Amino acid sequence: MGIIGFLIVFPLVAAILCLVSPNRRLREVVVYVSATAIAVASIVLASGHLVGGSTYFTGHTHVIDWIFLVVDLALCAYIMWRSLSAGRKGIFALACIQALLVCVLEFGVSGSVNVSRAVYIDSLSSIMVLIIGVIGSGICVYAIGYMRDFQKHQAELAAEGKEAAPDRQNLFFAVMLAFLSAMFGIVLFNDMAWMLTMWEATTVCSFFLIGYTQTAEATNNAFRQIWMNLLGGIGFTLAVIYSGSTLNVIELDRFVNYGLISPSFTMLPLALLAFAALTKAAQMPFHTWLLGAMVAPTPTSALLHSSTMVKAGVFLLIRLSPLMGPFITASANASINPVAVSTMLVGCITFLVCSIIAISQSNAKRILAYSTIANLGLIVTCAGVGTAEAIWAAIFLLIFHAAAKSLLFLCVGTAEHHVGSRDVERFDTLVSRMPKLASLMALGICGMYVAPFGMLISKWAALGAFADSGMMLIIIMLGFGSAATFFFWTKWLGKILCSARNVDNVETTVFVPEWIALVVMAAIMVLSCVLLPFISSSIVSPYASRLMSGNIWAPTPDDLIIMAIMAIIVLTVPLAVALRTRANSLNDQRQWYMNGVGLGTNQDGVETFRGSLGGEVLYEQRNWYMEDLFNEAKLSRIGGIICILVALVSIACAFGMSYISYFVGSVI
Amino acid sequence: MNVWSIIGALAFVIIGPILGCVIQGADRIITARMQGRKGPNILQPYYDVRKLLEKDPRSLNPAQTALIALSLLFAIVAGAVFFAGGSFLLVVFTITLASLLFIIAGYMTPSPYAQIGAQREALQVMCYEPMVLFVAVGIYLATGGFDTSSLLSARLPLIGTEPLIFCGLVFILTIKLRKSPFDIAQSHHAHQEIVRGTITEMSGGTLALVEIMHWYETVLFLGWVGMFCVNSSPLSILVALLVVALVWFAEIWVDNNFARVKWQVMLKSSWGVALVASVVNFSLFYFLSSGGIIIF
Repeated sequence: MGIIGFLIVFPLVAAILCLVSPNRRLREVVVYVSATAIAVASIVLASGHLVGGSTYFTGHTHVIDWIFLVVDLALCAYIMWRSLSAGRKGIFALACIQALLVCVLEFGVSGSVNVSRAVYIDSLSSIMVLIIGVIGSGICVYAIGYMRDFQKHQAELAAEGKEAAPDRQNLFFAVMLAFLSAMFGIVLFNDMAWMLTMWEATTVCSFFLIGYTQTAEATNNAFRQIWMNLLGGIGFTLAVIYSGSTLNVIELDRFVNYGLISPSFTMLPLALLAFAALTKAAQMPFHTWLLGAMVAPTPTSALLHSSTMVKAGVFLLIRLSPLMGPFITASANASINPVAVSTMLVGCITFLVCSIIAISQSNAKRILAYSTIANLGLIVTCAGVGTAEAIWAAIFLLIFHAAAKSLLFLCVGTAEHHVGSRDVERFDTLVSRMPKLASLMALGICGMYVAPFGMLISKWAALGAFADSGMMLIIIMLGFGSAATFFFWTKWLGKILCSARNVDNVETTVFVPEWIALVVMAAIMVLSCVLLPFISSSIVSPYASRLMSGNIWAPTPDDLIIMAIMAIIVLTVPLAVALRTRANSLNDQRQWYMNGVGLGTNQDGVETFRGSLGGEVLYEQRNWYMEDLFNEAKLSRIGGIICILVALVSIACAFGMSYISYFVGSVI
Repeated sequence: MNVWSIIGALAFVIIGPILGCVIQGADRIITARMQGRKGPNILQPYYDVRKLLEKDPRSLNPAQTALIALSLLFAIVAGAVFFAGGSFLLVVFTITLASLLFIIAGYMTPSPYAQIGAQREALQVMCYEPMVLFVAVGIYLATGGFDTSSLLSARLPLIGTEPLIFCGLVFILTIKLRKSPFDIAQSHHAHQEIVRGTITEMSGGTLALVEIMHWYETVLFLGWVGMFCVNSSPLSILVALLVVALVWFAEIWVDNNFARVKWQVMLKSSWGVALVASVVNFSLFYFLSSGGIIIF
C-alpha cells in the first residue's frame, strides 16, 4: 500500500518541483531522479504481485473521497474556462454536464454505498504498472533531450518571425509526470469513483500536451480530443451512478462479479463503460483525436500511444472481459450479448480499416498512429470475445505493443530532428546517415509484425482464440488487416535500410538522454520477446484462467523453441554482418544498373543517368502509397459510419434489455 | 517430435532442392513444348546455378548476400517444419519472414528497378497472405489444431471439408510460384518492364542462392497443395501426388496463356477470391458442423 501511495503521490510532487524549477539544469535533474524513482518503485511493486491472486487494500476514507471530488470539479472547471475563452460552447456544455454528474455521484450515490476494497493489485495491474512505470518514465527521460532540440528549433523559428511555441518546458514535464500518476490511479483503483477522477485527469493532461505548441492546429486538435473523451467520461460517470444507485455496487471487481450472476442488470452500465473505453482507446469513429494528437511534441505521442491514455481504455475492457463473450450463458436460454458483439465488431472493423489506411500514409507519425489504432482494435476485439485464450492474446498484444511502439515513436522523434522531416520518404537511406538509429528503428518495425517477435505470436494466439469461438467474420477481417499490415511496414523498413554512398553521419549530435531511453526501450522489447514463454506460463496464463475458466491455447513449447532460435538468428546475424562488412555503405566500384549509363548523384543531390539518346536524365524514386485505392478520407468515413451503426444497435439492445428486466423483474 | 517428423524434415532439406531443381527443369521443357520449342536439358537449372556459384562476388551492397542467405535459411526451416508435421501457422510465419528478408535485400541498393520490384514483391505478399492464413484456419477447423501431421490421421482429407479454400490456394499459388499473369515483381523467364525486378542488382553466388531458394519454395508450396488430399490411408499419398502434378501442369498452362496483369487486377482478384472462398467455405463448415450457429 505504501508503494502504491508513493506511485500516485510522488509523480505529483515531482511535477510540482518541475513547475517551480528556476532553470533547465535543475528541472532535468528532477526528471532524471523522479523517473528513476518511479521506475524502481513500480518494479518493486509489480514484482511482489505479478504472480498470484489479487491483493486488496481498504484505504477508503471520506477525506480521500472529498479530495477526488475537488480534483474532479477543478478539472471540469479548467475545461469550462478553456472552452469558454476559446468560444467552444459545446465543450463548455459537456463540461457542465460532467460537473453536474460528478456532484450527483458524490452527494447522491457514493455516500450510501459501502466501499471495502478501494484499491487492488493483481497480475494485470502489475503488468500495467510496469508498462507505465518503466516505459512511461523512460519516455520522460527521452523528452529531456528531445525538448532541448525542439525548443532550439522553435527559438529559431521565432527569430525568423514565424509562429513558434513559447518555452513552457516546466509545465510540459510537470504534466508528463502528473500523467503517470493518473495512469497509476486508473490501473490500481478499484473504487470506480476514484478511477473516474483519474480517467478525467488523463483527458485533461493529454489536452494540455496536445495543445502544447499553442498553434491554431494544436489548439483545435486538443479541443477535438477533449470533446470526444468528455463524452466517454460522461458515459463512465453515468455507468458509475447507475451501478451505485441501482446495484449498490461501486467497486469494479464487485461490479464484474455482479454481472456474472445477473448479466441483464449490468448490461446498461457495461455498455456505458465499454463506450468510455472505446473513446479512450481511439476506436472508430473516435480515432480522429489520436491522429490529431500528432501535432504534439513526439514524447507526448509516445506517451499517449504506448503506456498511457489509450492503454487505459483497453485496460478497462480487459477488466470487463469476464462480462463479454458473444453469448450470455448465465441464464438458461443463451442470448446474445449486444455489448460484447458491438465491442468486438467495432474493434475488428477498426483494425481492418486503419491497417488499410496506413498504406496510403507517408507521414511516419501518422503511420504509427494508424498502426496504434489498428492494434488497439485487435486488443478490443480480444476483450470482446472474452474467452481465456482471447484474454491471453489481449494481454500480450498490450505488452508488446507498448514496448515496440514506444521505441518506434522515440526513433521517429530523433530522426525527425536530425533529418528535418517526419516523412518516411525523407528517411530514405537512414541506415547510412544514422546507422545506430536506423537499426533500432528497424528492430521496432520488425517487432510490430514479423515472426518471431511478440506481436506476431500474440496475433497467432488471437487467431486460435477466434477460431475456437467460431468468430468467422472476425477471422476474415483479421486476415485481410494483417496482410495490409505487412505491406505498410515492409515498405517503410525497406526505405530506411537502403544504403547510400557519400553521405554524412548525422547521428553524432543526438543527446545522451535520448540514447538512454532508446536503448532501454529496445532492451525491453527484446527481453519481453525472449521471456515470452516464462511470462506466459507464470503470469498471463494463470491470470487468464483465473479470470475465465477454459483451457489456454498458446504456442506449444516446440513452437516456442523454434521461435526462440529464429529470434536469436534474426537478432545476431545482421549484427555480425554489419560489424564485418560495413553494411551501411555501398561498394565504391560499382554503379547500379540504369538501362543507360548510371552517373550517380549530381551536384544538386539528384540521381542521374545517361539515357539512350545521350542526354542526362534526372530521376527520383518514391514509395508506393496507392492513395486512389486506399483513400484515407473515404475509408475513414466508411469505417466510422459502420462502427456507429454497430454501436447504436447494440446500445439500443442493451437499454431495451435492462428496461424490460427492470420492470418485468425477470432475467431474460 | 518423433522419428517420422525428423525423417520428413531431413528429406525436405536433402531431397527438396534436387526435386525442386528437376521440377524447374521439367517446367522449362514443358513450357518450351507449349511454345513449339525443344527446351533445355532437364538439369539446366542445376548447370545455371553451378555457373553462378563459380562467378566472382561483385555485389553493390555486401550485406545483400547475407540477407539472401538468411532468407534461404528460413525458407528451408519453413519447409522442414511443414514436412515434419509441425504447425502450419509457424510454417506461414517463417516463410513470410523469408519473403520479408528477400524484399529487404531488393530494397538495399538504390537501383530503381530493384526497389520497384521489392515494393511489388511486398504487394504480392499482401495479395496472397489472407488466403494463406485462411488455409491455416481451415486446418484448425478440420483438425482442431494447426499441426499438419494430424492431417495424416484424419478420416476425411482436407479437401472434403475445405474445397473452396483449396481453390483459393491454387489461385494464389500462381503468385507464390511467380507465374504469369501474376509475376509483376520478378518475372521468371525473360526481361520485363522493370528489368529483373527485385533481383536486378543480384549476381553470382547471391543469385544462385535465390535460385536454390526457389527450388525449396516450389517443393514446399506444392506440398501445401498435396496436404489437402491426404488422410489416414497410405493410398491417399498417391492421389495427392497426382493432384499436385495436375495443379502444377495447370500453373504452367496458365503461365503460358495469360499476359501479365496490372497490380490492381492482381490485388482485387486475389482478395476477392480469398473473401469469397473463406466466407462461403467457413459458413458452410459451421452450418454443417454445428447446425446453424450464429457467425460473427
